[in-house]
Amino acid sequence: MSNDGNSGDDGRNFDKARRNFLRGVGMGTAVTAAQPAWGGETFQDAFAQFFQKDYRRMSAEEIQAALERIERRAKRRYDVDIDCQNTPPQEGVVFGYAINISRCKGYRDCVHACVKENNLGRDSQMQYIRVLQMDQGDFNLEHSDHYYDPETVPVEGKHYLPVQCMQCDDPPCVKACPVEATWMEPDGIVVVDYDWCIGCRYCMAACPYWARHFNWTTPEIPAEEVNTNTHYLGNRPRPRGVVEKCHFCVQRTRKGRQPACMEACPTGSRIFGNLLDPDSEIRYVLANKQVFRLKEDLGTEPKFWYFSD
Amino acid sequence: MRMSRIKNWTPGVAALLCCSALLSANAEEPAESSQAIRFEGYPNAPEVFVPPRKNDLFFYPCDQCHESMEPNPEIRSLDAMHDSNLEHGRGRIWCLSCHDLDNRNYLRTLLNELVDIDEAYLVCGGCHANRHKDWSFGAHGKRVANWQGERRIYNCTHCHDPHSPAIKARAPKRAPPVRAGLNLVLGAEHEKSHVWDSQEGHEEP
Repeated sequence: MSNDGNSGDDGRNFDKARRNFLRGVGMGTAVTAAQPAWGGETFQDAFAQFFQKDYRRMSAEEIQAALERIERRAKRRYDVDIDCQNTPPQEGVVFGYAINISRCKGYRDCVHACVKENNLGRDSQMQYIRVLQMDQGDFNLEHSDHYYDPETVPVEGKHYLPVQCMQCDDPPCVKACPVEATWMEPDGIVVVDYDWCIGCRYCMAACPYWARHFNWTTPEIPAEEVNTNTHYLGNRPRPRGVVEKCHFCVQRTRKGRQPACMEACPTGSRIFGNLLDPDSEIRYVLANKQVFRLKEDLGTEPKFWYFSD
Repeated sequence: MRMSRIKNWTPGVAALLCCSALLSANAEEPAESSQAIRFEGYPNAPEVFVPPRKNDLFFYPCDQCHESMEPNPEIRSLDAMHDSNLEHGRGRIWCLSCHDLDNRNYLRTLLNELVDIDEAYLVCGGCHANRHKDWSFGAHGKRVANWQGERRIYNCTHCHDPHSPAIKARAPKRAPPVRAGLNLVLGAEHEKSHVWDSQEGHEEP
């Protein structure tokens, strides 16, 4: 069965629930629905969560109920009123991304904007974006370093290559998933149903870009830093023990806003837009710049280009 | 003198402008809010809205001081107030290459057009034509806030100090934590080390 969001709430609550339950049994009394058993959730929520269907098989009402459950759970966990939405993909839009690597200076502003936007745990050792530092003239990813920490960047003789989910058009991670918890949306974003993911991590093994990350710990976020603009398939608070990835900030981009990494980039290296719009900036880049993709020979058709000028 | 600028605005674009009413109201002055330009040199370029920034400038309006000063066209190194160290053009240009001598609040392009400080991209484009074209099509420069709808793109001078255009080095944000079970191998060969090798009893130097 799918990973139960309750266990993701935190282990302490589960222990408490177990103790309460045993105590209840010992006293020969029934555990009432209103008690904070069930991982701190009401019985109805825990029950509905346990039997929640795959996102793509839920009816509109069921999705609405799931969104409300997510909001209630976030209220309990972080004491914050989040707004969890289910914005559908726009018609005639397929997202593409391009990065000008001759302008990227390795400041890592994108990495930290992503952590903030996507409600990643501040201590969970997980980041969706890695900025690789490599010797100039060298493009061997195995010799790259993303732990670089000099006084100032750019370092003389180095260049920088931000890597995140490439949103492949033929995604190997989707093929690897045994429970179909991950798929490509009509606007080209590869998303994960965190409630359906069983945490087997096959997709991580299948991804050639190290773009998928396993959520080992329950995200610890200060209440004032929780991003309340969330999406079911995007940055909603997630349970522990599921696989996560960059989703092109689906909660922002489906409403016309830029992804957080692009908005944070101080150099303007990042270009994002609709691949189907011939007048878009991304199409201008693809038509007029020498673009390349990482590990293109694997045939995964990434919708993520790099160029230099 | 303003007419030289106005003729660059095609009527079709002017109708598109959210600030078109403002333009017609006081055609003497360039619009104070964001401006949309369709450059004649770049057919099919979508319009660009440039957020104004001159009100954030420390010395602007320049007339505050220069009103009472005699214009001096002699090429020299400035001492007081202005940074005399111009790191732009490698000595081939100086103040009046971009700034106008008589209208201190304005810039002057290579075509001898008087343009507002907020239209500095017209001046920059005079020399940096390729960058300027990329900028107007969206391959250079920083777009603000959205990918859809009104294209607001920062002025050249928003990111590049026109008197020292190279972007300065600065400290990077915090490095990612090393995942549990992996030891980061520091040392001379740091860049060449494979972090994942360290699990296999890698000897630290």
